[in-house]
Amino acid sequence: MKILIVDDSKPIFMMVSQMLKELGHDPIWAEEGQKAIQVLSEHPDVSLILLDWNMPVMNGLEFLQLNKEDKFFDHPIVMMTTENSPEKIQAALECGAADYIMKPFTSDILQSKIEMVIDMM
Amino acid sequence: MKDEIYKFFADYVFKHSGISYKPGDYYRLDSRIMTLMRAFSVDTPEALYQLYVQNISKEMHTLLIDLFTNNETYFMRDVKPFKALAKGILPALVEKMTLPTPIQIWSCACSTGQEIYSIMMATETFGSSELLSKIRIEATDLSTEALAKAQKAEYNGLEVQRGLPANLLIKYFEKKEDQELWSVKPELKSRVTFAQFNLLKDKYPINKYHIVFCRNVLIYQEIENKRYILEKIHDALKPGGYLIFGAGESLIGVTLPFTQVEFEGAYVYQKKS
Repeated sequence: MKILIVDDSKPIFMMVSQMLKELGHDPIWAEEGQKAIQVLSEHPDVSLILLDWNMPVMNGLEFLQLNKEDKFFDHPIVMMTTENSPEKIQAALECGAADYIMKPFTSDILQSKIEMVIDMM
Repeated sequence: MKDEIYKFFADYVFKHSGISYKPGDYYRLDSRIMTLMRAFSVDTPEALYQLYVQNISKEMHTLLIDLFTNNETYFMRDVKPFKALAKGILPALVEKMTLPTPIQIWSCACSTGQEIYSIMMATETFGSSELLSKIRIEATDLSTEALAKAQKAEYNGLEVQRGLPANLLIKYFEKKEDQELWSVKPELKSRVTFAQFNLLKDKYPINKYHIVFCRNVLIYQEIENKRYILEKIHDALKPGGYLIFGAGESLIGVTLPFTQVEFEGAYVYQKKS
């Protein structure tokens, strides 16, 4: 499954990318929300987005809000961030996030979250 | 068993789950390694090790992680029995009741509590708040340490992400201020009583429970112990009561008056009336 990781940290991308490859997925990368929209237009086969919250240009919540209005991506989007307050989680879910992963996390958590959101589809 | 073998499995589990087994804990891996040997039809730990060193298939990975992290340390990892409970078993029990008495559920090896809180979250999410208001849970475990954690009902960021979707996290848990801990809300905690219980030694009640959860307990038991525990659980259930196993567990090898019934794709056992 092709998965787009949207995160401004390259080390985070490398780590998550490695986990996803071990789970049999095909990860690609965008550094922030605006870039992610461009990458999505080049890769219409992306089936899931893992989305950081705090990024320059367009942050994760802005990306979710824009997608809620424009619906340019109709597969699951999972937030993946160090933000871990119930209020932030609530806000992301209300803006259309399918689930929420708090950093730090492990490979088995990533796997179970991906399986859960795919099962919901 | 050679330390090299323990270390291989411990390192693999740590890498993929963050759960750590130090050399002093290696004895806790014995029964799990035995279960893996049975699952992959090999006679020795060395042969199992060779199998894993060569190539780890998805099935080998999943079984290893499930066994070494204990399924019950996941919230709703295997959601089927919880859906079966909320959508099938509880409504069926309520329909038969003539008096408004509570539905008694026994979680006989509750470990650190994930199963009991999953039972309640699923009852309301897949069933209704009214159904949740009808259930009472008795949670027991052999380990006092596990019971204390179950009763305290506080979990760290990694624990609350194992199997639990974020919408249920924010509905049923409160984040402790200035701490990385999540605490189960009091309205769920108030439905549970806790006690230590040894399934092989302690005295079982008779004809008491509507439902018994006994998941991932019997896979570690020899057949004689399995038979003893199941006979006692059978007697502890009310006629028409339900026994719920973990994925892949069954009554095979034990003859008792239960009928297998299916709810929501999950198979459970009902005590004959």
